[in-house]
Amino acid sequence: MSQRLPAMTSGRRAFVGAVFATAALQSMRAVADEALIRIGMIPDAGATQVSVEEKAPLQAYLSKALKRPVRLVIPTNYNATVEGLGNGSLDVAYLGGLTYIKAHQQYGAVPLVQREADRQFHALFITQAASSIHSLQDLKGKTFAFGDINSTSGHLIPYQDMKSAGINPDRDLRFRYTGSHAATVKAVETGAVDAGACDETVFKEMIASGKADAAKLRVFATSAPFADYVWAARPGLDAATQQAIIRAFTNLTPENDKSILDILRGTKFVPATDAEYATVRNIARSLKML
Amino acid sequence: MESLARALQTLVSFLPPDLSAHYLLALTGPVLESIGMTAGAMLIAYMVSLPLGLYVGLRGPGSRFIGFVLSGVRAIPDLTLAILCVIFVGIGPAAGMIAMAIFYTAAVAKIFGDLFKTADAAPLDAIRATGASPVQVALFLIPLKLNDILSYGSYEFESAVRASVIVGAVGGGGLGAELVGTLNGFDFQRTTTLLLVLIGIVAAVDALTVRLRQRPVWLLLLVPPSLYALWVFQPEQFSLLHAVHTIGAMFPPSLDSDAIARLPALIAETCAMALFGTVLGGIIAFPLALMSARTIAPPWVALPVRRFLEALRAVPETVWGLVLVAIAGIGPEAGTIALGLHSAGSLGRLFAESFENVDPAPVLAVAATGARPVAVVAYATLPLASAPIGVHTLFRLEWNLRQATVVGMIGAGGIGQALFEAQQLFFYQAMVAYLLITWVMVLAVDQLSQMTRARAGWITLPAEEIR
Repeated sequence: MSQRLPAMTSGRRAFVGAVFATAALQSMRAVADEALIRIGMIPDAGATQVSVEEKAPLQAYLSKALKRPVRLVIPTNYNATVEGLGNGSLDVAYLGGLTYIKAHQQYGAVPLVQREADRQFHALFITQAASSIHSLQDLKGKTFAFGDINSTSGHLIPYQDMKSAGINPDRDLRFRYTGSHAATVKAVETGAVDAGACDETVFKEMIASGKADAAKLRVFATSAPFADYVWAARPGLDAATQQAIIRAFTNLTPENDKSILDILRGTKFVPATDAEYATVRNIARSLKML
Repeated sequence: MESLARALQTLVSFLPPDLSAHYLLALTGPVLESIGMTAGAMLIAYMVSLPLGLYVGLRGPGSRFIGFVLSGVRAIPDLTLAILCVIFVGIGPAAGMIAMAIFYTAAVAKIFGDLFKTADAAPLDAIRATGASPVQVALFLIPLKLNDILSYGSYEFESAVRASVIVGAVGGGGLGAELVGTLNGFDFQRTTTLLLVLIGIVAAVDALTVRLRQRPVWLLLLVPPSLYALWVFQPEQFSLLHAVHTIGAMFPPSLDSDAIARLPALIAETCAMALFGTVLGGIIAFPLALMSARTIAPPWVALPVRRFLEALRAVPETVWGLVLVAIAGIGPEAGTIALGLHSAGSLGRLFAESFENVDPAPVLAVAATGARPVAVVAYATLPLASAPIGVHTLFRLEWNLRQATVVGMIGAGGIGQALFEAQQLFFYQAMVAYLLITWVMVLAVDQLSQMTRARAGWITLPAEEIR
């Protein structure tokens, strides 16, 4: 090795130097910023409360619970969120089932905590109240809305369910991606598409808050349960912080923290494990989405 | 009919805008963030592109290759560039700012290069004959083209302000994150507020640049705040090793056989979107341009129409697309209309200028025959303005082809959507393959449009157009 060094061109030496300098700079910054926890949310998760003011209570709560400053970031797309976790610019990210699997495979993301409902999550197939669609088979020849292409309940699971029911979404119907669950619900409600698939908690929240009209919509199929959303840490995050984050969420109670739980559309949080995702992982592989 | 009623119903829910004091106050953060990102990015862009443009303009060795690279960078959809920047510098405003800096360095350098190439050769040769060094020649060249540098430079700044809305949102924050948030949350009245804020910002930038072009020295006043923005939004990290590894895994580009089979349809869809979007823009722009040309319409008509065109133009294609998706649902139609609306704003302004700039002599001659004003316009103004209108429309078609790939991100279809989906699913090798295809398409149309302009004998504008 030492014999080769003199042969190194000055350009390459400069490059190596730059790499070391960058690494040193980075570790210095890491020390300086240690107190700050950066938390990212995939856009869909906050679909109904992303406005500036509305995300403040969650950030304040986490900051208090962790006794450290917290910065909540909501990038506008899934890909950027996972890349942020990958290069350590996010410490924790709220991910969907499929995005978590990708983040785990690519960068070793660690599952921390999730809503109790996320372990047994369901995708809903919805249509207009008066529509002639009553089963997955009825979807043949119809127009259909998926949510984001990276969404588990808005794309992966419903796609698989259609295939199991003998419908090939690529051939038997005309589908499109709306980009979010809320947009799917709206597209179905207004009749822009004949049917769609979405996240059950978003659907219920929209009906409860009057953002969607219960009289105009009907659920005609529900998926088998699967594991979905999870708060995951970057692999290098220290164990104490990981535990503190898990506790911050599991300590939430409907009596004391209603406003926070409403933002998160949940009632109870439980620790999460990678094993829960075996089914979703297999489906993603078989559909060549992984 | 039903779908129209539906669309109108949704449209109504965008009104009235939420102008409550506390919301406007809450917006100051995102507004400053968007403007700051733009200022920081453009400071870098101007600093790098001026020497680069001079080098290309003076045809230094390898300048053809540099031009090639610049075109290549410009063919990458800015949103894709921003997500690539996330890999390097992490989530945060820095990713959007650096993406804009790279994109606009390429754009501005290409324009400056074109401008310097068209500089009068005689004085340059004279200077060279005195034995001046290339640097001295370059310094001589700048004042020669100062006016053009200032006007095209400020067009690009305006364009960057608009682009910052979507590009800046990638790392979270800025007006774009807020805009997407309000749309996802069906908070449409606030969406309208944000559109109005954006239109206001662009109008303010426009007014400011007009003044600055008269007193270029004042530009120096903008440097300190831009430097400050650059410092505030500087990358929190620079993960070179991580990035090299991730980017390395994107090569070699590859597509599976299914994807290759779908390519022709995707390319056709993108071309159709660009073509129909341009046609739609032209159809809307034409009457509005007549109504806003000061030489044709009375001021009380011209002024409001002009404002309306500016508003159409202030909102970038992607943002129109996002709004249209909310109103009319997703699909190539939404993409086409989005391109059409923005194009109508840009073309309207350019067409109006074309009408105003026609040679007055033939117009007066026709008018002297006692022809009614309508006949004067039809037989004198229109034929005289047809060449510039043709050039503007062709440039717009080129631009729209690029934008048709960008609006793919909102699900409008075509090669842009395929690119975005590959990126979202982390199929980076496929993403790079789509990027290369996009690049070839953009270059091909550039060439085609140049040939058409040359054959039709239409003058080539000194540089790129305003968007």
